[in-house]
Amino acid sequence: MVDKGKSERIAEAPVRRILLGDIEKGPGPYCMSFGYDLQPLLGSIKAVGLMNSPVLREDRGGALRVIAGYRRIHALRSLEYGEVLCRVLPESQFTALDALLYNFHDNLATRRFNDVEKGMVLKHLSEWLPEDQIIEEHMPLLNLPSHRPTLSLYIELEARLEDEVKVDLARGNVALRTARMLLEMDRRTRMSVFRILSNLMFNVNQQLQFIDYVTDIAKIEKKGVPELLEDPVLVELCTGDRTNRPQRTKAVLNFLRSRRLPTLKQAERRFHETVGSLNLPEGVSIKAPPFFEASQYRLEVLFETGEELRRKIVHLVETEGLLALGDPWREKP
Amino acid sequence: MTGKIRLKEVVVEKGAQRDAFAKSILDRVSRLPLRRASSSEKNLDGNGLGDSKEILYLLPYRGEFLKPCPGTREYICCGYQILNVGTNCPLDCSYCILQAYFNLPYLRIFVNLEEELDPIFHRIDAHPEKIFRIGTGEFTDSLALDEITRWTDLLLPLFSARKNVILELKTKTDQIGRVLDSNCRDRIVVSWSLNSPYIVAHEEHKTAGLKARLRAARQCQSEGFVLGFHFDPLVFHRGWREGYLRTLDLMDKYLDPKKIIWISFGAFRFMPALKWIIRKRHHATCVLDGEFVVGLDGKMRYFKPIRLEMYSFMKENLDKWSDDLGLYLCMESDEIWRKTLGWSPNNTEGLRRYLDGRVLRFFG
Repeated sequence: MVDKGKSERIAEAPVRRILLGDIEKGPGPYCMSFGYDLQPLLGSIKAVGLMNSPVLREDRGGALRVIAGYRRIHALRSLEYGEVLCRVLPESQFTALDALLYNFHDNLATRRFNDVEKGMVLKHLSEWLPEDQIIEEHMPLLNLPSHRPTLSLYIELEARLEDEVKVDLARGNVALRTARMLLEMDRRTRMSVFRILSNLMFNVNQQLQFIDYVTDIAKIEKKGVPELLEDPVLVELCTGDRTNRPQRTKAVLNFLRSRRLPTLKQAERRFHETVGSLNLPEGVSIKAPPFFEASQYRLEVLFETGEELRRKIVHLVETEGLLALGDPWREKP
Repeated sequence: MTGKIRLKEVVVEKGAQRDAFAKSILDRVSRLPLRRASSSEKNLDGNGLGDSKEILYLLPYRGEFLKPCPGTREYICCGYQILNVGTNCPLDCSYCILQAYFNLPYLRIFVNLEEELDPIFHRIDAHPEKIFRIGTGEFTDSLALDEITRWTDLLLPLFSARKNVILELKTKTDQIGRVLDSNCRDRIVVSWSLNSPYIVAHEEHKTAGLKARLRAARQCQSEGFVLGFHFDPLVFHRGWREGYLRTLDLMDKYLDPKKIIWISFGAFRFMPALKWIIRKRHHATCVLDGEFVVGLDGKMRYFKPIRLEMYSFMKENLDKWSDDLGLYLCMESDEIWRKTLGWSPNNTEGLRRYLDGRVLRFFG
């Protein structure tokens, strides 16, 4: 932790006017901001100027790295400011670990981290601190379980995911569980899957279902996922002009489901054909149990009066073809 | 141990090494590096840690040693009880449910087993009217580590001395040395999990081969042991009919069907969380290739007509061998029972009565 002496050194650090061009360009080793929306900050700076000075660390060669305030500097650059007032701490007074912990706690006090940012924090910390200490002390602060595989997962997210995937993860468009599955793939496979995920409109369960289907089908058909996703039918479904994104999403999942579960799909089709051919009275429906797993089918009759119910039951009794109902995979009587 | 199983380290939890059971195990593995468990060991989980199957972890277990097999209400369960001697298994079958079921790594051996047996037998002895079917092969393999743990030395005499209990030792190994050395035969069932030759060769990585298992079974049978067999999981794979027929042919060649107390079938099923563990740990596996749907218990199961076909096929061909093999289904519905075996115990209580009846017939 940052001790009192150090925190005083920060407060007492001289405020200097720094040219933005003199500050290291990238986010640097202490930054833990990713996928943020700059607009509110831009609006605030435009309205009242910059209220809090960024904190920089100056190394022995004079290079300036951002400890805290990366977003503010980003905003100022966007607004084409030339310089900014910063607190500057010399490397001799503030170690890299001090800088990292300072920024971590500064952020913790004011906002929540998204999953990419949690990965950044943990990756940076893992460069300086023993794993056990991070697991016991820092993961709970990030609302993460003190669990070594979780630590590995977050570090991997930061280290291996491409920026465009990270952006969608930070924004919540890609679920953490989905990102975890994407990590299991090689880069080419991951990006081919990600492009479809980002172009269509999958909810979390659908994302997982989509990945599950394409992984299974590719394995069963002994081809790569990217090759599978280049299937002309699938490409057409993903890009169809006459449908909106939710419709395309549904069509893609239906197509993959038919390919992954052909026996089930065939049973469903036969069952619907059989029920459809029965000429049931209006307000009467027959439904199969989910996946035909339970043994019984369901008959539903909508009616307003006893007379209407009687009429529908009589109609049902006289319906031809009822004996054909049953498990669609058995021989019909 | 089988030649395929390798242990590389022994880890002992604080205090566990004082236990006599632990001391005797440590004597037998004295050639292996030994270390104390560290506090960070608790931050590990069991998922995907292949290496952890080579580490023996000795610890006292603070939970119930005897517990009902984790069946679900939606399907008919056999009412089995598990004697929890240890968790995780060195055999590393690709489909193994334990990969997802336990969230702790290592081959965990419970060193306080002996002292915890007293209350268990107290419970058993308090209900002489009831038959307790108990096994050690659900959370680990019953015999894979027996040369080290000598579970059979401890357990066989205690079970064999009672009339209302059987102990089933369920294995995929041929490690029967200590079982055969025992004088105990009564109330002991030695069981093998069997599969098609393809599944044994490609998915049951460190197990004994099919013929080795059947040779071991034949030896046990010839030395007076009652045998059981479990085709669980039945795996739908290319050539499955020919594969399972080949296994049945080998059974016919090696064994006398009259001394088999039961043969169970269970089509492959799994908690959804297991799927990605299997994908990650066993890249070439075929066990996930079938058509799986969500079952009534939330587990993934083969689509019903596939299960119907597999069970009917097994029943039809086993019937040609003998019509008294005690066939039963593990975790299936009344409907599937009737449509494949031609009868149903109706519910868990009914299946329990049926299997208890087999125990009475074989052991009196």
